[in-house]
This record gives sequence, C-alpha cells and structure tokens, in this order.
Amino acid sequence: MGLFDTIRTVLGTTAEADATRDADPEDLFGMSTAYVTMEADLGFRSVDAAALCFSGVDSTDFSDVVDDVEAILRAGEEETGTAFELHEDSHGWEWVILRDDDPEDLVTSVHFAADEFIERGYGSRLLAAVFGFERAGGGRGTGGSDDRTDGDADRAYWIYSFRRGAYYPFAPKPGKARNQQLEFKLESVLDGELGLEDDESYWYPMWSDRDGGHPWE
Amino acid sequence: MDWKPDWGLRGRMVLTMFLLFALYLVFVGALIQTDSFFFLPVMGLFVLAQFFFSDKLALYSMGAKEVSENEYPELHAMVSRLSQQADLPKPTVAVADSGVPNAFAAGRSQKNSTVCVTTELLRTLDRDELEGVLAHELAHVKNRDVMVMTIASFLSTVAFMIVRMGFWFGGGRNRQGGGGFLVAIVASLVVWIVSYFLIRALSRYREFAADRGGALITGRPSALASALMKIDGRMDNVPKKDLREQSEMNAFFIVPLKSDAIGRLFSTHPATEKRVDRLRELERELESQ
Repeated sequence: MGLFDTIRTVLGTTAEADATRDADPEDLFGMSTAYVTMEADLGFRSVDAAALCFSGVDSTDFSDVVDDVEAILRAGEEETGTAFELHEDSHGWEWVILRDDDPEDLVTSVHFAADEFIERGYGSRLLAAVFGFERAGGGRGTGGSDDRTDGDADRAYWIYSFRRGAYYPFAPKPGKARNQQLEFKLESVLDGELGLEDDESYWYPMWSDRDGGHPWE
Repeated sequence: MDWKPDWGLRGRMVLTMFLLFALYLVFVGALIQTDSFFFLPVMGLFVLAQFFFSDKLALYSMGAKEVSENEYPELHAMVSRLSQQADLPKPTVAVADSGVPNAFAAGRSQKNSTVCVTTELLRTLDRDELEGVLAHELAHVKNRDVMVMTIASFLSTVAFMIVRMGFWFGGGRNRQGGGGFLVAIVASLVVWIVSYFLIRALSRYREFAADRGGALITGRPSALASALMKIDGRMDNVPKKDLREQSEMNAFFIVPLKSDAIGRLFSTHPATEKRVDRLRELERELESQ
C-alpha cells in the first residue's frame, strides 16, 4: 500500500475515488491487429459484432451524452456502414452494439463512442468493450477437443476493461461455465500484442441473458 | 460526473482517529509504567486470528452460505458488474436465510471478501434498490473498513480485557507491586470507556463514506436512499426471534436492528433520515451540471 492508498484508506474515500476514476482507452486500438492474429493463428473469425458496455447515471446531462453518442454513430453509419443499436440488458447495464463485417470499422466505432463519453466527463461509467470471435466445431487440432460441445462453435471474447486499461479473454460454455483452457491459450498467443490484465481476479465474466447468446444480448 | 468531496466528513474522520491515537498513546505509556506491557503481544495474536477468520465468523453467526452462479444468476451478475465499476475483484456471494432484510460485507482485504444478503432483503427490494445496497457493501470492502475498524479497536479490546481480568483477580491480590496493576486497571477502564464512544463515532463516519462510495458506484444515490427507507420501515416488523439471534451482528449490517433506548452516542450507524439527506445532496450534485 502506497502513501496515497493509505491516506485514502484513512479517509474512507477509496471507493469514491476508484468508482469515478476516468477511463483508460489507451490500448483499445491493439484490437485491430489482434483480429488478424486470432484468425491466422487460432482459426477464430470475427462474429462481425462488438459492443460497448456502460453503466448509466441518474442525471439529465448523462442522457444528453447518450443522445450525442447516438448521433455520432449515426453519422458513422453513413460513412462506414457500421450498424448500431442501443440496448439495456436485464441487469440494468447499457450497451452500444455495433455490427460490421470489417473488424477495423468495429474498433473505430467503439473508439468513437468511448471517446465521446470520456470527453464529456463520463469516462468512469465505461465498463468494457467486448469483441466477439467464433470458430467452427473446435478448430484445428489444438488438443482441446475433449472439452468442447460437439457441433457447437467455440465462442471467445476479448474484453477491454476501461477501468483497468487492459484486455482479458472470456470463453463461455453453456451453463455458466468458462473454458479456461481456451482462455489460457488466447492469453498465451496474444500476450505482447495486447496489453493484458495479468491479475486473473479481474477477469470478470460477462454472461449473456440467454444461454449461448453474446454478452450484449 | 460532477460531485464534490465531503470535506466535513473527512475532517471528522481524521479528528476521531487522531483522538483515538492520542488516547492509545497515553494508554500504552500507562501499560509500560505499570509493567503490564506483556498484554499487547498476547492480545495481538488473538485479534490477528479474529481478523483472519472474521468473514467465516460473520457468515457462520448469520447461518449464511455461499451461493453459486447457477443458483442466483441475477445476484451474481449484479455483484460482478458493480465490482467492475468499483474496480474490485469479484467477492464471494453468500445468502442467509433470515426474516431480517439486511446485508453485510466481510473479509480482511479487497481480494478476500464476501458480500452477504438475506433472503428477506431479496424479497423486499426491487432491482435498483438491491444494487444500491450491494454497492454500499462493496464500498465497505473498497474502503478496507474491516481492517480499519480492527486496527482502531485493537487497544480498546486490550483495555477491556485488562478490566475484565481485574474483576476476576480482584485487583489487590498481593500487596507488593499489586498497586501498579491496580493503576493499570483504572487506566484501562477509562481508556475503554472513552475509546468506545470514539470507535462508535468512527463507525458512523465509515457508514456515511460507504453510502457516498456506493452511490457513486451505481450513479444513483436515490436507489440507496429508497432502499434504506424501505429497510428501516420493515425493521419494525422483524420477528423477535431474529432480533435476539442477530443483534450482535449490528455493526456489520446496512441498517442495524432496532433495540430500545439506544442513544445516538451508542449506535454504530447514523440515523437513516440523516443518511437519506446526505444521499439527496449527492443526487443534486450529480444533477446540477
């Protein structure tokens, strides 16, 4: 514990400080090349969608910001063809869902939306950017064939935490289980290319509302 | 997000801690003077053990058990995302079968924590309110309140033990050198009484701090305010059996169980109306851009 940490602990302001700490979007662009690596080395293709997850604030000002984000994305839609929708999931968290078959455009759109939140002083409400991947029926001779569900595609996500400025892998299996072997593999292959979260206790699961769905569904 | 730090609260917190510290210095001096210093390491081991098992003890005394993601998917998802916003590893989630609508957080560090809610709380609150309560508990974890309160009350516990022993051994067992021990007992009694009130005050300030932290985690101060009012209103109908069983857990709870004639000085939590007022102020700050 450093000096500042100690002072915050004494004053009881750690929760305040960390809950309102600004977002760290630095490493977001690393995803562009990661899409290439995922396909070339692991056989994982983009699911042609990505999403930005944020938690709302009870203020009129914040609703205005969300409206402006929408306006920016609508302008982007004409430019790059990236479709978008806003969606609130069953837990009360909000999503900007983006659809485009060009991963480059997905990353750019996520960045645009995130930037708007940050510029307007709501960076601390950004939780995560989620990029989805899948590969048909267990991939190519990776030795992990015993723990896959037959006939089902393997799903994997790279989740960028704005709170910690780092990526972590998330590979959900049916029934709220995680494919840890696959997560480990993704971590080893992409280490160095993406800024990774090395403390696994921060690898939060982001389950979908429906079994087998994407986190943002 | 526009909000102002609460300097009044911080000032009070520092003052209380300073007074405690000064009191303890005098106390340690008295112990050294009377050759009773050997108590400290012995008691230190006890308190350390208690600190390490504090979460287990709290859960055990509430009859709470850890629940899996499949049993309570909603609750887990909520805790997980609030932890994300608070920048905290996800704590263990536990549920206690109880007729008291309440929640508490336990654990010695940010990496080792448990958040527990009662079945009655889940029945009583709607989603936003539950979020507000969980965020308040996570703020306790984030602020390391278990550790802070353990350290703050350590010497108070020692003083209490010395007073108790004084009653057992009746002070003047042997006439030679017994006088020193008598002084130590009287000093301990004074230290224990004064520190008791200071620790209670500190505990109330930590509650305010956790209210603020929780409100900023959810971004909805009103959610916690309405949960507090609801729980407070429901407390009057709590079955007597639960009152008896759980009153020793009061310091942990989000809203303490009511008991008769508890003065403001004796309570671990601020009055609910006061907490709601503060949250309203915070709500106004977030709204006024």
